[in-house]
Amino acid sequence: MRLFIEKLGQSAVGFVEFSGGAFCLFFQTLFWIAVPPFRPKQIYEQMVRIGVDSLPIATLTSFFIGIVLAFQSAYQMQKVNAEMYIPSLVSISMTREIGPVLTALVVAGRVGASIAAELGSMKVTEQIDALETLAANPVKYLVTPRFIALFTMLPLLTIYADFVGIMGGYLVSVYKLGLTHAMYFKMSFDPLVLKDIFTGLFKSLVFACVICIISCFEGMRVEGGAEGVGKATTQAVVLSFILIIVSDAIFTMIFYFIS
Amino acid sequence: MIEAIQVTKTFNGRRVLNRLSLRISKGETLVIIGRSGCGKSVFLKHMIGLMRPDEGQIVVDGVNVAGLSIKEINRLRMRFGMLFQAAALFDSMTVGENVGFNLIEHTDLSEGAIHDRVEEALELVGLKGIQDLKPSELSGGMKKRVALARAICMRPEILLYDEPTTGLDPIMADAINDLIIEMHDKLKVTSVVVTHDMVSAYKIATRIAMMYQGQIIQVGTPDQIRHSQDPVVRQFITGSAAGPITDVNFKSLKGGSSE
Repeated sequence: MRLFIEKLGQSAVGFVEFSGGAFCLFFQTLFWIAVPPFRPKQIYEQMVRIGVDSLPIATLTSFFIGIVLAFQSAYQMQKVNAEMYIPSLVSISMTREIGPVLTALVVAGRVGASIAAELGSMKVTEQIDALETLAANPVKYLVTPRFIALFTMLPLLTIYADFVGIMGGYLVSVYKLGLTHAMYFKMSFDPLVLKDIFTGLFKSLVFACVICIISCFEGMRVEGGAEGVGKATTQAVVLSFILIIVSDAIFTMIFYFIS
Repeated sequence: MIEAIQVTKTFNGRRVLNRLSLRISKGETLVIIGRSGCGKSVFLKHMIGLMRPDEGQIVVDGVNVAGLSIKEINRLRMRFGMLFQAAALFDSMTVGENVGFNLIEHTDLSEGAIHDRVEEALELVGLKGIQDLKPSELSGGMKKRVALARAICMRPEILLYDEPTTGLDPIMADAINDLIIEMHDKLKVTSVVVTHDMVSAYKIATRIAMMYQGQIIQVGTPDQIRHSQDPVVRQFITGSAAGPITDVNFKSLKGGSSE
């Protein structure tokens, strides 16, 4: 019993330490964003790595999810002769939910892992200490460019993924289910309201913060060489996935009650 | 110039620095010797403010390092240069960007002026003309020399060397020793070198300090240390496997296993 309580206490302390540290890093990042120099070259490099280089995987996943969504809804819709509503189902679920979440998960897996591994390697090879000895703040130098890049590129990737997903639905609806081009686009975009797009984009901003802070925090607290880097990378991806899903549920509920 | 007063540091219940006191005079080369893991590097990191003591003070020119704000500590760090054990060059940058990092970040010098200063620093360490190479293209010895060039590029008053000859072949290790002496003579810097390489220590030191169990147990000129009658110092400098250092380790291991 005593051992159990001790373990429970240790877990609680670990949780408080982790969440306190992550929040502290978040606020430090916000502070350093406002402090010059702004390093546009570094931000641009991160934008390319995070945004442009994620385009192929974002295209692939969204396109196939669009196809799957169209086929899955066709099962039910065909029973009641309501195939014309498939485009609306695809476009609304892509913009409100699947586009932002799927893109965030893909970016967390690709970019989050790379950030944690890169910063973790820098930590174990004392490059972060070297930065400090050269009077450069590691948060300013390493975290803020990645934060700005993720904060701008994830919403853009989400908009792109929404569109590609809708095109996946188009392929099924027009070439398999017999809808016309005009009918597909009318039924896709007519029911869409700005709120649908904005809720999706708002979520992607939250996901960008989650991915950046968790990955940077895990990377910067690595200890114990290559093994530690591996653990931190796994931990960063797993935690980002969990927090993306949890925050998605929370914001979906909030938006539901607001509306 | 630099004074450690009763500095104590504990990691996970293990006291690494135990009321350590030491005085380093301006212009001298003080070599700190001791077994691996005895806290030499930890002490070095305290001097430049990378770590803060649990108790005691590190005083540089009358100022307590632990009491400084981030801005003040960064200003102090500009007076230091540090060579890390594994060089800690930034992988993502070229040699030129590594060496000129401080000049790019903290001065308004033109690109041409920075290029000249970097070339001058590289020439001092015997590596002229490699500005465009990446750290991954360099040998271990070259990396250390580039790291030294980075440390001296801002013309610091104090140079800290963490195991400068570890991992190098004897010829390259001696070349690094010569460089340390050259830096001392040419730049008139105060040098603090942490090592367990006695050949290096005898060659470069003005004074040698022996660290044992978190304390400085003897300080003296290379000759005084060479002829020391202290059994701990004798065992270390002769590199004998039997003696008081290993007896203590053996006893503590036995004590630990019987619990």
